[in-house]
Amino acid sequence: MVLKINHISKNFGGISALTDVSFSINEGEIYGLIGPNGAGKTTMFNLITNIFSPSSGEIIFKEDNITGIKPHKITEKGICRTYQNIRLFSQMSALENVMVGGHCRSESGVMRSVFRTRYQRSEEKTLKENAEELLEIVGLIKYKDVLAENLAYGQQRRLEIARALASDPSLLLLDEPAAGMNENETDSLFDLIKQVQARGITVLIIEHDMPLVMKLCDRITVLNFGEKLAEGTPLEIQNNEAVIEAYLGKEEEDDIA
Amino acid sequence: MLLEQLVNGITLGSIYAIVALGFTLVFGVLGIINMAHGEIFMVGAYVGVMTTGVLGWPLWLGFIAAILVTAFLGYLLESLTLRPLRGKKGVSHLAPLISTIGVSIFLENMTHHLFGAGNKPFRTPFAQLSIEIGSVTIYVVQIIIFVISILLMMGLSIWLSKTKAGKALRATAENLETASILGVDTKRTIIMTVVIASAMGGIAGVLVGMAFNSVSPQMGLAIGLKGLAIIILGGMGNVKGAMVGGLILGLAETFLVAYGDSGYRDAIAFIMIIIILLLKPQGIFGSKAAQEGR
Amino acid sequence: MLGELLNPYQLQIASFVLINIILAISVYVTLSSGQLSLGSAGFMGIGAYTSALVTIHFEFPIIVGVLVGAVVAGILGILIGIPALRLSGVYLAIATLGLGEVIRVIFVNWESLTNGAVGISNIPQIGREIVFTTRDLGFNATSLGLQNNQFASLSVFLILFVLNIFIIWFIVRQKNSRVGRAFSAIQLDEKAAESMGINVTYYKVLSFAQGAVLAGLAGALFAHVMGYISPSDFAYHRAVEILIFTVFGGSEVIVGSVFGAAFLTLMPEVLRFISEYRYIIYGVLLVILMAVRPQGIIDANILKRLKRSKGGDVHGS
Repeated sequence: MVLKINHISKNFGGISALTDVSFSINEGEIYGLIGPNGAGKTTMFNLITNIFSPSSGEIIFKEDNITGIKPHKITEKGICRTYQNIRLFSQMSALENVMVGGHCRSESGVMRSVFRTRYQRSEEKTLKENAEELLEIVGLIKYKDVLAENLAYGQQRRLEIARALASDPSLLLLDEPAAGMNENETDSLFDLIKQVQARGITVLIIEHDMPLVMKLCDRITVLNFGEKLAEGTPLEIQNNEAVIEAYLGKEEEDDIA
Repeated sequence: MLLEQLVNGITLGSIYAIVALGFTLVFGVLGIINMAHGEIFMVGAYVGVMTTGVLGWPLWLGFIAAILVTAFLGYLLESLTLRPLRGKKGVSHLAPLISTIGVSIFLENMTHHLFGAGNKPFRTPFAQLSIEIGSVTIYVVQIIIFVISILLMMGLSIWLSKTKAGKALRATAENLETASILGVDTKRTIIMTVVIASAMGGIAGVLVGMAFNSVSPQMGLAIGLKGLAIIILGGMGNVKGAMVGGLILGLAETFLVAYGDSGYRDAIAFIMIIIILLLKPQGIFGSKAAQEGR
Repeated sequence: MLGELLNPYQLQIASFVLINIILAISVYVTLSSGQLSLGSAGFMGIGAYTSALVTIHFEFPIIVGVLVGAVVAGILGILIGIPALRLSGVYLAIATLGLGEVIRVIFVNWESLTNGAVGISNIPQIGREIVFTTRDLGFNATSLGLQNNQFASLSVFLILFVLNIFIIWFIVRQKNSRVGRAFSAIQLDEKAAESMGINVTYYKVLSFAQGAVLAGLAGALFAHVMGYISPSDFAYHRAVEILIFTVFGGSEVIVGSVFGAAFLTLMPEVLRFISEYRYIIYGVLLVILMAVRPQGIIDANILKRLKRSKGGDVHGS
């Protein structure tokens, strides 16, 4: 068990965004979190990374209760994320962005940095090599010196994944990574996530692209109005009455319209 | 004695409140701290001195002159320094702050250059007129200041809540984009806001000249910093907070001078800011949302 | 020969340029993690008064006084930096502005310690100390063909110059490292930086305190170069002037701070007729700059282009 969400609820000024949601993710899984807009998916990510604290419930990461510990400590423990609305460091190069991702896996402070000790130089070299390797994996190595803000949309999404991977996570949270991507880009995203899984990293993904989710995920939890509607394999979810009615049904309507 | 101090405190406080209202209107609508507001106030005070003291105009004409000059300054401020920054890509949110600091430096030193550094005395024909109520002496000037301040505040409140232009201003303050979609001419509203805020600064300038019988190029800085302290105390962009905050500061300063150490008078405002910012950054009347994203 | 070239007055101006560069860098360092502090004049004052007082009352050597001044400013920076973390943008600017004013008012009012508004005058001066010390060691400035005051000004200038080189070296090295990347990341997107594992609290306080140390250091040096200080040396106008150095020169790169401080200190000296209108021009300059070039005169692009054209020359030759 990598992550265990235990009866989590979250209220914002009396409005409840999540109500008593529980699920758990096994090591090496690709786990999907789906549901209509406003179902509380991103809120769940924000609770796991403790951008907000939950109103009640707890989050267990590899036997550790991580509820309420500082966001940067959570990254240190091995959870890293991407954002629905891409939050790269726009004025830094692609390479620098990924190197920032390696921050918590390195330790040189002011003095070592200023005096460029041997330790610092070898650490900096490792950081850079790791970053270049990750850029290679996400197919951005040719753009390593380009400012993040000058990359195309799909490239920015991939760069964000590389930056998250640089923190050497055991659990990667992806918030709508395929949003705004065309079919080709989505296909290569699929390969990329599979590659991430092959590196032994567990993935929790929020995604609206249903074919991608069904193809990619081992198990899925469906949220609706902040409550857990169903949990199961893609096949089970596709055949779940409640899900079809609340979510997929609605999508079909959209398709007809 | 206590009553007299109370009157002094309220007089001072109502002037502070008007200055703070100018800050708060601009912040509410534009999300900008107008660092030049104190200097616009100072220009208003000089216009008051020049017209009534040197040219011998009646006081009411001096007021009108001050209002016209500072309103025009407000217009220039908006069109020359604030508008060019609005909506421009890559402009940091600190740019308007720095730009208005530029205006404040310009105005202060221009005044210094034109009129010299020293204090200019400000004679009002009735400066010495006073009323005795029991053992309490109240100067007519104080009553005038108080009445004008109250009228100004009431006028502003009514204007904001009742008139179409006032409602447009509040809508723009709430959300510029939504207001614009709803058909509010936001460009005009913004100009109007800065102009009105500046004119109020000008009125306060003349009032201070009356209250203290002198003006100097540096007076804008001192009162501007206090105005900032007040809007932080009362909550940024909050009209009621500016009024109450002004009175609190005026009273606190007066009583410190009367019963404590006058040397620290000018520090009260800042000690207040620092404490407020640390304990309740959104101000006494501010809502939590106001501080997000600023 | 050397003696004819060195004008003590010009050397003193050059020394002020160097002190102003340190001040500009203090704002730059704090801004590099996204914090706008208007408290630099206050920290400068703390450094100046601390160093002046310990050298006068405890007869500390100047170098120790200067270090104590910088350290005290730095400690205050940490004490202020921690609660100030809760504030951002405009709020931080105003709070630090208020802090500077409170410090100035304390200088004015704590007369038994600071001598009030009159200030402190008999502060040991670096130049004079050096002349005395070297004379005791049997060295005479005239053997270099210099008069004593020339030798004093020259040594002050050289000391400040070396110190400047060290500070710039330090900050540039720091910038191109893990620490510098953390600062930039926080400046660009604090939330994202935090979720990338950066301890935002630590790095923000670090950069705030570094700014305070540099301002305190510059203040202490100012005290021992001038020989007298008063509260009005550290008022709001000074804070704004320091901010202008950095913002005018360009706050993205350290070269901007150096350029801004040097240019704006020298301009009124070189163009005498400007001196009287100096602040009026400052004001107009700021407004125009924000509208036309909010990043300041020198930015990363210009530096890149300069480097490239230099590289081009090398290839061409």
